Amino acid sequence: MKAPAFDYEAPATLEEALGLLQARADDAKVLAGGQSLMPMLNMRLARPALIVDINRLPGLDYIRIAGGQLQVGALARHTAVASHPEVKKGWPVLAEAAAQIGHDAIRNRGTLAGSLAHSDPTAEHPAVLAALDGEVVVRSAKGERTLKADDFFLGYLTTALQPDELLTEVRFPALAPRTGSTFVEFAPRVGDFAVVGVAAAVTLGGDGSWQDVRLALTGVGGTPFRARQAESALKGKKPTAADIQAAAAQVAEAIEPDSDIKASARYRRHLARTLSERALTTAAERAAGQGGR
Amino acid sequence: MSAFAAIGKSARRVEGREKVTGTATYVADVHPRGAACARLVLSPYAHARIKSVELSAALQVPGVIAAFSGKDIGGAEILAIDEVYFAGEAVAVVVGETEAAAEDGADAVQVDYEPLPVVSDPIAAMKPDSPLTRAAQGESHDDAGAHGAAVGGAGTGRPKPRNVNQMVEFQRGDLAKGFAEADVVLEDTYRVARVHQGYMETQGSVAERAPGGGFTVWTTTQAAFGARDETAKFLGIPAHEVNVIPTQVGGGFGGKFVLVEPLAAALARRVRRPVRVILDRTQDFLVSHPAPGAVIRMKMGAKKDGTLTALEAELVFDAGCAPGAPTGIAALLLGGTYRCPNLDIVGYEVLTHKVSPGAYRAPGAPQAYYALESHMSRLADQLGLDPIEFRLKNAAKEGDIRPDGRPWPRIGLIECLEAARAHPMWRDRKKLGADEGVGVAVGGWGGGTEPATGGCRVNPDGSLTVQVGSVDITGVNTTFALIAAEVFGLPVEQVQIATNDTDHAPYAGASGGSKTTYTVGAAVLAAAQEARSQVIEMAADRLEAAPSDLDIADGRVFVKGAPNRGVTIGELARLANRFGSRYKPLHGQGRAAVHTASPGFAVQLCQTKVDRGSGMPRITGYVAVQDVGRALNPAEVIGQIRGGAVQGIGRALFEAMEHDEGGQLANATLADYTMPTAADIPDIEVVLIEVPSELGPFGAKGVGEPPAVPGAAAVVNAVEAAVGVRVKNVPIKPEVILDALEEGGKR
Amino acid sequence: MAKEKTIRVKVNGSERRATVEVRRNLADFLREDLELTGTHLGCEHGVCGACTVLVDGEAVRSCLMLAVQAEGHEVTTVEGLTTPDGEPGPLQQAFWDNHGMQCGFCTPGMICATAALLRENPHPTAEQIRERLSGNLCRCTGYQDIIASVLAAAAEDK
Ligand SMILES: Cc1cc2nc3c(=O)[nH]c(=O)nc-3n(C[C@H](O)[C@H](O)[C@H](O)COP(=O)(O)OP(=O)(O)OC[C@H]3O[C@@H](n4cnc5c(N)ncnc54)[C@H](O)[C@@H]3O)c2cc1C
Ligand code: FES
Ligand code: FES
Repeated sequence: MKAPAFDYEAPATLEEALGLLQARADDAKVLAGGQSLMPMLNMRLARPALIVDINRLPGLDYIRIAGGQLQVGALARHTAVASHPEVKKGWPVLAEAAAQIGHDAIRNRGTLAGSLAHSDPTAEHPAVLAALDGEVVVRSAKGERTLKADDFFLGYLTTALQPDELLTEVRFPALAPRTGSTFVEFAPRVGDFAVVGVAAAVTLGGDGSWQDVRLALTGVGGTPFRARQAESALKGKKPTAADIQAAAAQVAEAIEPDSDIKASARYRRHLARTLSERALTTAAERAAGQGGR
Repeated sequence: MSAFAAIGKSARRVEGREKVTGTATYVADVHPRGAACARLVLSPYAHARIKSVELSAALQVPGVIAAFSGKDIGGAEILAIDEVYFAGEAVAVVVGETEAAAEDGADAVQVDYEPLPVVSDPIAAMKPDSPLTRAAQGESHDDAGAHGAAVGGAGTGRPKPRNVNQMVEFQRGDLAKGFAEADVVLEDTYRVARVHQGYMETQGSVAERAPGGGFTVWTTTQAAFGARDETAKFLGIPAHEVNVIPTQVGGGFGGKFVLVEPLAAALARRVRRPVRVILDRTQDFLVSHPAPGAVIRMKMGAKKDGTLTALEAELVFDAGCAPGAPTGIAALLLGGTYRCPNLDIVGYEVLTHKVSPGAYRAPGAPQAYYALESHMSRLADQLGLDPIEFRLKNAAKEGDIRPDGRPWPRIGLIECLEAARAHPMWRDRKKLGADEGVGVAVGGWGGGTEPATGGCRVNPDGSLTVQVGSVDITGVNTTFALIAAEVFGLPVEQVQIATNDTDHAPYAGASGGSKTTYTVGAAVLAAAQEARSQVIEMAADRLEAAPSDLDIADGRVFVKGAPNRGVTIGELARLANRFGSRYKPLHGQGRAAVHTASPGFAVQLCQTKVDRGSGMPRITGYVAVQDVGRALNPAEVIGQIRGGAVQGIGRALFEAMEHDEGGQLANATLADYTMPTAADIPDIEVVLIEVPSELGPFGAKGVGEPPAVPGAAAVVNAVEAAVGVRVKNVPIKPEVILDALEEGGKR
Repeated sequence: MAKEKTIRVKVNGSERRATVEVRRNLADFLREDLELTGTHLGCEHGVCGACTVLVDGEAVRSCLMLAVQAEGHEVTTVEGLTTPDGEPGPLQQAFWDNHGMQCGFCTPGMICATAALLRENPHPTAEQIRERLSGNLCRCTGYQDIIASVLAAAAEDK
């Protein structure tokens, strides 16, 4: 279980990195935290001719707030995201998702951007990006574009990232006041990839009714699933257990999960229902219990 | 008990220093000068004819030194030649300067296969129209036999279904009459998955030509002498020309006997360099010998008062592509744990296109007890009896006749059940909250025997060196130190243990089957006692006293009643080791052939809470009761029991080697083959019961196997107690519990 | 082949230099090039934790990092947690005294993971220890004596 041979570059500037990717678009692979790519290399499931290690790019590990928006650089690790005070305060769903990824040693290296770029169908972060209407900033030697979840996640382990592109930043808009959010998942063991996970953000109006509801799931298909139908069914109503249950049931109806070695489609549906219920309940409670969050 | 000086007091590991500082040597740490690395090429097909093996491209790869097909190496035991019988069977091997280079080369080997029909499920294999597996090959080489336990059974002329290699049968009384007498009869079928030993260190061996001829083989094995003999046999040289140096074993659990030792030596011979053959995790999953899966049909009858009247069972063990499944032991334990006048048990060892199983902690027992103990709890339930009382009423005790016609010796099953009954977890189980429950299960192991020798040398500094040929996989070396220390009344730090290579070691059998303390310990005890007599005899001469008037304390021999008339042990050794000395060196030899096993029983209580959202049972409490005969080193005995219990929980909740219909192993990584982590299990309370063995040293019995046995049944019985759902197949799929909950009741 | 690189890494306090294949992972660099075989490989795909070492004080899987990535960083392995004269350090002593190891294969990874944990949280609860060490598999002990070892080490360190 030793990696196949490859060339290795660790560019010192973003321009250099983008130049390398442009020149070797057909056989280069970006190495960020390595927590997905390295196992694939060791198992020889990936055989790039060139590894472009972005870990020496300066100043890309930031987590900052600009104009209310949360901006996370490509080299911010899961540990940093999970423990960042502003993230915990303003985007708890993101901090909670990051904290449920793997184990300490994995979180110390793995990156938020890498998670999105890798787009494992049961990873936490893609669902968070979808739920929060976040966007990714993607750069190539040719220019820059930003993409929302719907346009970024294309299928099983497939994104809109082109081989010459680097995901440089992840952005999450500010959550409105009186918003509660959470990430809940089921994994048979602590630290495992989720079987199903749910990201929820709920905003309550002054009258206590659902003003905004955002719900996205991981583990129920090749890409994160944004439960728009269930969301709109709830909007405008006052939170009740019955409505939450009905919405959760609707989520379970709407998804089209696959069966695999980990779980049957039926079981994923069931988890989608119970976890959606739990996530919506917690998010609504948090929204009510404050001015939000 | 307090009569002992060293025995019964917890001692830390004698080899602990090297393990905590990272200086212990495991096989992958052995790098003889100039060593090359080998990489296996494995068959992707579960059954195929090998049409050709093309090595030329591999030989072009930079860093590749040599490449061999099965034909080149000659010996279908280590590399297939004409036909492969399981996915993962090795067909070629590439030797390179580094492991990476060897793997580059292995990727370039081209093998042309003609796929042949595959049967991977044992039940399907028994059907008349199933593809044939490797021809049934007569007598079973039962790996569990290497564990020393008895197998047997007499044929009754039942027909032998297709692909069945061996059948075991036990019959007694009149089954029909027994069922007719019963007030309750329960019949059901249980399935236990094939599981892996899951040792953290993968298997491997390193071999080089010895300067004086022959070969030196470093290896991670539980059986140094076994590895020596197999390697020599394969090479066609006398056994004494192979010297096996056993390294630290990073977990064995029955899985490390002989695997790549012969290949490593054969390659060292061919490439004229030392060769390292270290399996990676995926290859280890594919080529090593795991514990067989089993399908067990049970039918039992009992009277209202709880008396068992009849037991009928059919055990199907998936033996993979070669004989060796522990069917006999499983049938014996299944039929012998409770008294039952009428029984009919048949075991089938079925061949399929998978790798053949080997030993894993109490081979056959976890499967048998999963079915038996599931059934016992359900019967108790149907009879309206307390599950422990019901077991106590029928539990076997000394003198009861086992299915093989032999009586049980003194066993501690009843004592264990009584201790479990008295435990607060059991007593207070009705006070638990919603979705919580406690389950109980029994597990047993017959124990093993094998002759052994040991040496005990008295050193001039007054310390002892104990020499053994057994490999320490469970802390036995520390126990040996305690035994020798006890005999001499020395502190345990004054005893050094030398696990020697096969050139130098006194003979010992494999460390496995819970028999190392029991048998090698007996040899060490005899050796220490002999050394002690020599010391006394020499001191008697020096002190001009009768040997019977002497005693030893604090490293000194003295005349009873005149303590200042004495001589230190070190002084005696110095005198005996001196040029021209008239004394013989102080060196005891001990031999033991304990040929009656001391069976060990365990009872475990599991407390669970089932999460209704996911169906997942979380283990919230666990008690492991076990009769250990005598706990020579309590901390290590407790450690064995906890480790075993967690392996049982793993079988219950997580572990299964998943093969598809084509015989492909779908989860050959540690990401997909999931074992319990620290966060999955609670503290495990251990209750030691000491019903001393008449034969083991100081009354000790084997402790390694029994704790790994009851777990699966304890967990599923707890799940039933918690939410009323009966799980029949382990590992538990939470979705099965969930489905049953949705249907609103028992299944 | 041009696929080699000379790197300088500070390992257990001393500057080490070696020329390695760029594909060589940090674990193999430590084990093969530096002969620090205390770092063990149990899976090489990031799951078992046996290869856990500290890089700049943080726990990482050395099987999931390239050796060339360690250039200019500080690596601490289990061998670096001894006393200066090679005797067991306090954490190692706690594992030894409290039966925190059986076969010992997981032990170096456990000890490194524990070192990182205690640095961050010098007095963790048993539950926190179970959670933090859940990324390190042990097949022998059933974990309990490992938890006890960590608690003992934390209690020593007042
Ligand atoms: C034992 C274990 C458990 C894990 N558990 C979980 C879990 O529970 N949940 C979970 O979500 N993940 C889990 N992971 C994976 C982990 O989260 C990874 O960190 C993540 O998936 C990838 O991030 P990375 O920075 O490590 O990316 P890498 O492994 O470096 O790269 C992954 C892929 O993304 C590409 N890539 C990375 N960064 C960029 C970029 N900036 N621009 C363009 N392409 C890029 C790479 O080329 C590669 O194809 C686990 C990993 C391990 C080993
Ligand atoms: S070897 Fe690195 S995690 Fe297993
Ligand atoms: S002590 Fe053996 S794996 Fe932990």
